[in-house]
Amino acid sequence: MTEEKKPEERKKRRTATEAASRIGPMVKAMVGEVMQAKEEKKPIAYSFICCCYDEIIRAMDIVPHWVENYAGICGAKRDAQRFLERAEAENFSRSLCTYALCGLGFDAWREELGEMPPESPWGGQVKPDVMLGSGQMLCDPRNKWFQAAQHYMPDVPVYDVGLPWPSYESDYDYREVQEYYVSYIVEELKGLVKFLEKHTDRKMDWENLSELVDLTDKTWNLIWETYELRQAVPSPMGTGDAMNTMVPIVFMMGTQQAYDFFQDLNKELKEKIAKKEGEVPDEKYRLLWGGGLPAWFALSDFNYFNSKGAVFPVETTYRMIEATYNFDIDLSKISDPLEHIAWRWVKFWTYWHDRARKRPGSHPDVERLIKYIEDYKIDGIVMHEAFSCRSWHPGLIWQLNLLKKVYRDIPSLVLESDIVDISSYNEADTRARIDAFIDPLEAVKR
Amino acid sequence: MPEKSALKGLAEADRYYQDYGLRARELKKQGKKIIGYLCAFTPAEVITAAGFVPVRIKGDVNEPITKADTEMETIICPLVRSCFDMALKGHYEYLDGLVVPHACDSICRTYDIWKYNLKLPYAHFINMPHGTDDASLAFYQDVLNTFRTSLGKFAGKEISNQALAEAIKLHNQNRAKVKELYELRKASPPLVSGEELTKVLIAVMSLPVEESIKMLGEVIAEMKERGVSAQKQARIMVIGAQVDDIAFIKLIEDSGAWVVADDLCPGAREFLSSVDVTADPVVGLADRYLRKIKCGRTYREMKGNYEEYLEDRFGHMGRMIDDFGVDGVVLYIYKYCDPYGFEVPQIKSYIEAKGTPVLYLEDEYSMSTIGRLRTRIQAFLELLGSK
Ligand code: SF4
Ligand code: SF4
Repeated sequence: MTEEKKPEERKKRRTATEAASRIGPMVKAMVGEVMQAKEEKKPIAYSFICCCYDEIIRAMDIVPHWVENYAGICGAKRDAQRFLERAEAENFSRSLCTYALCGLGFDAWREELGEMPPESPWGGQVKPDVMLGSGQMLCDPRNKWFQAAQHYMPDVPVYDVGLPWPSYESDYDYREVQEYYVSYIVEELKGLVKFLEKHTDRKMDWENLSELVDLTDKTWNLIWETYELRQAVPSPMGTGDAMNTMVPIVFMMGTQQAYDFFQDLNKELKEKIAKKEGEVPDEKYRLLWGGGLPAWFALSDFNYFNSKGAVFPVETTYRMIEATYNFDIDLSKISDPLEHIAWRWVKFWTYWHDRARKRPGSHPDVERLIKYIEDYKIDGIVMHEAFSCRSWHPGLIWQLNLLKKVYRDIPSLVLESDIVDISSYNEADTRARIDAFIDPLEAVKR
Repeated sequence: MPEKSALKGLAEADRYYQDYGLRARELKKQGKKIIGYLCAFTPAEVITAAGFVPVRIKGDVNEPITKADTEMETIICPLVRSCFDMALKGHYEYLDGLVVPHACDSICRTYDIWKYNLKLPYAHFINMPHGTDDASLAFYQDVLNTFRTSLGKFAGKEISNQALAEAIKLHNQNRAKVKELYELRKASPPLVSGEELTKVLIAVMSLPVEESIKMLGEVIAEMKERGVSAQKQARIMVIGAQVDDIAFIKLIEDSGAWVVADDLCPGAREFLSSVDVTADPVVGLADRYLRKIKCGRTYREMKGNYEEYLEDRFGHMGRMIDDFGVDGVVLYIYKYCDPYGFEVPQIKSYIEAKGTPVLYLEDEYSMSTIGRLRTRIQAFLELLGSK
């Protein structure tokens, strides 16, 4: 039996915006809604962010339980270790994605007890009716985690949505292959709808789906415009806050609530800009969070950066949107909602290809960094390498090296720990590394 | 020095194993183009059909990883890091191109790192889907055709259906030979040791397919002629990902057991299924790589109940245990390997439920970590002996 541990004392991060400070209660309510739905016997789907099915499950009135979110909550509450240990006792390697380990450890424990493990954070993670994975060029746990979870819940069916996107190649352009990517994704999404209709008592409301698809486009554009406001000097909002405002982006997409949230944020940022109110009173350095998921248990490190006068006006992490009107096709003309979703997906993942073609030796990921460096007047780049996630973290060092080659040398810092596993983290070391990074920044500025 | 090895059979395999890439370097000097690739999911048939020599990139457990870390994160599977380290150190300087399939995160998320660092005249990523449903199969056929067109462009001539069919035939013959070799493991004691077989299969990864067929034929004849080996205390099956070095297999055999079966690559996973002959050769190819090869990287939809699902995913392992008279299974998984790491509890319980003990070992693909596994292997063999 996994030994129960007392959560360590957690330091709360100060937010710069009022909107970001509202996120905590929103997340808590979201977890509460899933518990409520379970009681009301509504269908619940274990879901991943960034899998194209947000509008689909909303239109079918299926309640998503976001597994990465729940593991992140356990991490942020510094109460994940007991679930990780439980997964390890089940023979899962501690080197695997710790979101997955936390979730699997939790499920194994809950199924063994027949009830929630003692003092589960925010009431716990309920047993779902279906699990929705995805096969994509992003993350193996997306198709392995739920398959592994069936070891503990063999009666819960899984659907795996195929969601590829074209890689950046030198001998052909993605436009030569995009049609068959879209056709495939549409077929996979159709299969998903069929699967959900079979395994839940819900039917697809196609009209509702079309509306939600339009709402999502609108929300994407609003988010993009809102985040672009952060180019202002001083910058009114940092990455620390964006690690909160990612919640409506990735967990609430296709809902009015997400749209309204960003309207409020948009308004708040404009007001701050008008008053020249920055994330910190005396902004000295502007940093780009250039990659990596955050250490959820150590978000207060952003405050530490702030205490040195450093702000983060922009980040690549969780900015999983682009302005759809900047795409090279008119999405609004694609009336079939599944096709619409598929095109949006392919266009999102190939968005930076054209820019990369224009700079010899460059790459879309690096072009994105360059654009942000220029638009947001960046002095240095910070990245985080979370040891357990091989989706977002491979290639960070290479991107920095390539950036130097095709663009220019820019001070950079790669922090190392994890998303959930606090044993990988050392606060004193991390802060010493931040200190050592800020000094050369000073020299570059002068 | 003779251009082509004058040795025969096992001795030749040993030479190509010890000096990996030797034959490719010779052929390169003769003007052949060599295409390196990662993982068993690269359809080598297409490379052969284009007139190139496919060489699978391997790592080296004896070589500490020293160069790779400046470009590739240490959170990547140690096998991939070792392969990349070897490439950076010039062990694959003879390559003209690189093909990387969408295998796992460690492979697909590092494609750009490989491509931008090696800067070879040709590079291509094969975006194989995870699913095995009909839509995934159709998509994968498109993906293979994109690869075929792209490689044809590099070759300066289209890859015809005829060339592809011919290549498929050769690679199937190669697989049939490996299957024949596996038959020799069924005897008790086996006619070929796990160490010898592993060595041969690794040598095969570096040879043009015609030469491989010939070498395998010689090895089989030799082994049959050599006859019976000594009896050992247990017959072991090893399950894992890419084991491209004899070190681990040797460790088990030195500890007093024969390794007689496997689900590894190179090994049973990739050699025991062949490509069906189809009017459009790409159809057969897609079917084999997506549906026939059973690997943790591929997602198989559940049909029937959970027990049937496990049978569908791991049944081939169960059958091999029976067919090869396996006493115990070693589940040998690398740290940071997502496709297999997530399967450990399921594979372990599936096999144990059939009455065969399983030893699960996590390793880091280096001689020093392999050595540390000795005591656990010995204890496992003792346990098997006492049963
Ligand atoms: S591997 Fe990375 S992207 Fe995938 S679920 Fe884990 S944290 Fe998320
Ligand atoms: S050992 Fe695992 S992680 Fe490494 S390349 Fe193979 S499948 Fe990928």
